[in-house]
Amino acid sequence: MSLTLEQARTRARARQELTGEVKRLLVDRLALDVDPDLIGDDQPLFGRGLELDSIDTLELAMAIEERFGVTITDDETESLLSLNRLADRVQANQS
Amino acid sequence: MSLVVAGVPPATAPVPTVRSLSADDIARLLPHRYPFFLLDRVTAVEPGVSAEAIKNVSAADPVLAGHFPGRMIYPGVLLVECVAQLAAVVYGTAAVQAAGGDLVGDVAHRVGYLAEIRQAKFRKPVLPGDQVVLRVQSGARVGSLISVSGQASVDRDVVLTVRLAVTERGEQ
Repeated sequence: MSLTLEQARTRARARQELTGEVKRLLVDRLALDVDPDLIGDDQPLFGRGLELDSIDTLELAMAIEERFGVTITDDETESLLSLNRLADRVQANQS
Repeated sequence: MSLVVAGVPPATAPVPTVRSLSADDIARLLPHRYPFFLLDRVTAVEPGVSAEAIKNVSAADPVLAGHFPGRMIYPGVLLVECVAQLAAVVYGTAAVQAAGGDLVGDVAHRVGYLAEIRQAKFRKPVLPGDQVVLRVQSGARVGSLISVSGQASVDRDVVLTVRLAVTERGEQ
C-alpha cells in the first residue's frame, strides 16, 4: 500500500502527537525533573536513559492503562523499554 | 456500612465476603508481632482483591507516650503501616485459598515487602478513643509488584488516603 504525501504527513503528525502525549504523561505521573520536549523518541526509559527503576514500571503501566486503555501484561514489559516502543504498543491498540 | 466522601472514592466498593477475622487469625497470616502488630480485627475480606479492618487507638499504646507528650496523636506513618498490613491480609488469605484452605492458615513467611508509598494524605489527626476503619483495594500488577490503594476513616471522616506498591513473595 502506498501513501499519498498528505496521508504520510497526517500519519507522522499523529505519531508525533502521541509520543508527545506519552512523554508528558511520563513526566507528570513519575514526577520527573525533565522537560518532556527534551526526551528523545528512542531514549531508553531505564538505566542510563531516564533512570526509571522497576518500581516506576508499575506506575507507568497504570498511567498508560488509565490514559489509553492499554493493559501492559507481564509478557509485554519490553514495551516499556523505550518511548518509541511504548508509543508502538499504544498505537497498535488504537488501530 | 459504606462511607462516601465527596471527591474521595471509597477504597473498596461494598465488600462481598463479610467474614470477620480475629486478631489471632491475623497473627497466623502476618509475621508482625508486638509492638508492630497493628490490626485489631478484619471485618471483611475478598482474598486477593480487597479487605476492611478496624484498629482501635488507645491512650495505653506506648507510642503515644512519645508522640507527643501532652498532645497524643496517633502517628500517620503507623496508619500507612496499618494499610500495608491489611494488604498483606488480602494476599495472605488468597495464598491460603490457592493452597486449598479456607481463609486462615500459616502463611506469614510469604509476606512480601512494602516497595513504595505514594500520595499519602493525612487529612485529620487520629486521637486516643478513635476507631479507625481501614480499607484496601488491590490494583494493577506488573511482575511481582502490585499496586494497592488504601484509606482510613474515623466515623464519617476520611483521615488517610494512600497508594502503595507491595511485592509478592512466592513459596519460601
